[in-house]
Amino acid sequence: MSKKSSKSKHMIEVDLTSMIDVVFQLIIFFMFTSQFGELRRTEIDLPHQPGDETEVHHEPAMIIDLTNSGTYIVESVETSLIEIERLARAGVANQDVADPFDVLVRPDRNASAIHLDRLLLRLSNTGVQRWKLATVDGGGS
Amino acid sequence: MGKSKRRSATLGALPLTSMIDVVFLLLIFFIVTANFAQDEHKLPATLVTEGGGVQSNDLQPQIIQILMQGAMPIFTMGEVAVQDAKSLEALLKKLPKEPGVAIKCEPDVPISAIAAALQAARDAGFQKRSYVPSDG
Repeated sequence: MSKKSSKSKHMIEVDLTSMIDVVFQLIIFFMFTSQFGELRRTEIDLPHQPGDETEVHHEPAMIIDLTNSGTYIVESVETSLIEIERLARAGVANQDVADPFDVLVRPDRNASAIHLDRLLLRLSNTGVQRWKLATVDGGGS
Repeated sequence: MGKSKRRSATLGALPLTSMIDVVFLLLIFFIVTANFAQDEHKLPATLVTEGGGVQSNDLQPQIIQILMQGAMPIFTMGEVAVQDAKSLEALLKKLPKEPGVAIKCEPDVPISAIAAALQAARDAGFQKRSYVPSDG
């Protein structure tokens, strides 16, 4: 009888505080890291245009950031045109009719057209036929 | 009276430390992951290279050429030149939509002018919008 009483007293004294802390820390870590795909877009001063509202929301197969100085960035990494061409070629090779390979270009609005032209010529060599220009609201520019 | 006093003493001993920890962690998480970035929009266009992309039996698209006049870009269509996107849109509205429109520009034109031309073509009702990158 006295043994049972001591067991029950021991059960009551189990402290779950630190376990709950750890579990929440893990949940927060996994939720936070799962968002990185969305957050990995370089901050760029995009052209100010309202865009095409009829365009259906579809995550592009490839997102290329173009800075004011003409640097190309893919997934937060500075990437050469040769490497972009290689990535695009692989994407075009794996595309299907239902899900064609498309590219979103996020350019700095003050960057020169020559940088965009060099990029698009490379993409055109790989068979890319459609591209999208990213814009933000804020009146005409 | 004695019973009530005992209950109040028990309530006073509730350990809130871990709950406060958790609440603050959740608060920090939502602050960090909140999306403060501006909503982005898209302007789709077809990619056409010089001398390619248009079949001989297709209608030839009307060409918008963007040039630099001093520090300002100007939009030209044949002999007509306009200085802003609104005037370009008004000009495009008068044209037939079926052949589509192709945009070309000089290498030093800012990309904002290309976006303005694509937007004007879209707002004027052109479904076929293409961009012709210059290889010069």
